[in-house]
Amino acid sequence: MTETTGSALISPHTETQAAAPDVRHAKRRRSRHKVLVWAARLATLVVVIGGWQLLTSAKVVDKFFWGQPSGIVAQLDDWVRHGTAYGSIWLQIWTTFKEAVLGFVFGVAAGVIVGVLLGQFRFLAEVLSPYIKIANAIPRIVLGSLFTVALGLGISAKVSLAAVLVFFVVFFNAFQGVREVDRNLLNNARVLGASRGAITRHVVLPSALTWIIASLHVAFGLAIIGAIVGEFLGAQRGLGLVIATSQNNFNPDGVFAAMFIIAILALTAEGLIGLLERRLLSWRPPSPAEAAEAAAA
Amino acid sequence: MASTFARRRRAVHAGIGAAQIELAGVTKRFVTPAGSMFTALRDVDLVIDPGRFCAVVGPTGCGKSTTLTMVAGLDRPSAGEVSVGGRAVDGITPGTSFMFQVDALLPWKTVLGNVALGPVFGGAAKKEAQAQARDWVRRVGLAGFEDHHPHQLSGGMRKRVSLAAALINEPSILLMDEPFGALDVQTKAIMSNELLGLWEQARPSVIFVTHDLEEAIALADQVVVMTAGPGTVKAVYDIDLPRPRGAVQEIRFEPRFLELHHQIWASLREEVEAAYTRTAQGGRS
Repeated sequence: MTETTGSALISPHTETQAAAPDVRHAKRRRSRHKVLVWAARLATLVVVIGGWQLLTSAKVVDKFFWGQPSGIVAQLDDWVRHGTAYGSIWLQIWTTFKEAVLGFVFGVAAGVIVGVLLGQFRFLAEVLSPYIKIANAIPRIVLGSLFTVALGLGISAKVSLAAVLVFFVVFFNAFQGVREVDRNLLNNARVLGASRGAITRHVVLPSALTWIIASLHVAFGLAIIGAIVGEFLGAQRGLGLVIATSQNNFNPDGVFAAMFIIAILALTAEGLIGLLERRLLSWRPPSPAEAAEAAAA
Repeated sequence: MASTFARRRRAVHAGIGAAQIELAGVTKRFVTPAGSMFTALRDVDLVIDPGRFCAVVGPTGCGKSTTLTMVAGLDRPSAGEVSVGGRAVDGITPGTSFMFQVDALLPWKTVLGNVALGPVFGGAAKKEAQAQARDWVRRVGLAGFEDHHPHQLSGGMRKRVSLAAALINEPSILLMDEPFGALDVQTKAIMSNELLGLWEQARPSVIFVTHDLEEAIALADQVVVMTAGPGTVKAVYDIDLPRPRGAVQEIRFEPRFLELHHQIWASLREEVEAAYTRTAQGGRS
């Protein structure tokens, strides 16, 4: 790389070479920015956790009610080494995870099927719309009590509750997605001789998929809530039961520790859904936000 | 699967026969959201002989696009009858392709997938549909872009894909609603030449709706002038320029072209001015 700045003899050839230091400079600035962001993130974590630890140690905040980071770590360690009152911690995690995933799968499937059906059959949608609105207005979490009584302490009550919570979110998105399909695309397919089934498969479903996938992020969070609340209401194992037990034993560290585990579960699922999204929607042009993110990376 | 498709294809051709398009006393009324009646078309009589290229010009809002949707069978006339190949249109007209102003490509399918839609909807096996699509992608000059998605293409390239997707089913009727309206002048000229080239090979009957009188005369055998809304046929002009026409950019300077342009514009101008005055006064056109 020849240094040409300030030279009077800048030919077109040397001009392209002179651009290289600029690129390097931009790259260096970008990586410095990245380091700065990470440093600030770390600092935030240290301040929040450290502050919590300090305030509880100094007895400004009572750790009997609000827990303490070191206590939470100790609790997690204890669970991993000695298990919980209901068996190993991994069994509790697996139980809750299984309930959430099954509820999610059933809820999404039902939501997509009903949403696509009602989206395409106007008459059916008109007939059912007031009932759907009413059902949506009901605090559905209360159904958990019903499921627990009817289905017992096993997994099915939790799966049902999770599925009901998931269903409505996915259903509304699928329904809206189907109705937003571009009329030109539909007409074009019809003129080309597409059957109703072919239109659904090639035009309606892919078009609604953007909407459906957007709802999945929220939906998985709801599935976990359904599973946990179901376990609160009556269970033989699961993280919700572990939380309820901690609460009854005045053990805030246990509540926080379980919360932490659930957060990791949710983040993992979120990551998987993100992967699915990128795969299914790979045809999309990058949105302005994504493009900006790619440029910053 | 493939043989069913071939049989269907033959049946369509035999059924449509020469694919003459006839509109007899066609009127189309809509109920506006405000609840009043709006007449888009009134007593339209028009015959397009098989294999003719017919351009329809007229002021904005004169029901040109409505005419196309009724020929395609996407919409019904309020009165009168549309028939294709001697048969009244009820339901989607078989053997038709439609090219919209906004391209109707599926953004989640590749170029090849979009072009293959016609045969796929017709029941062809995937392999056969793709082979046909590959051929058509090549014919519109997009070889090498088979795996691109529509958003990766320029406006002109997307039009080529639409054109291939419209022609792959070898339609007996091609309906075009200002297909090149959104393109820049140079791309439009290139696309017009290409359309003529492809049309001259297969010769479907064409209805080509446009604002652009020069485009209409350069392409068509027959130019229909519509009145300001409610639209009806004001006059039909035969374009006796010899075929093949050659480059549309050059034909514009032929004396016969200028003569026709002068004549038709005189008729069209009154309608455009009438429509303009009406909009300027705030009335619905």
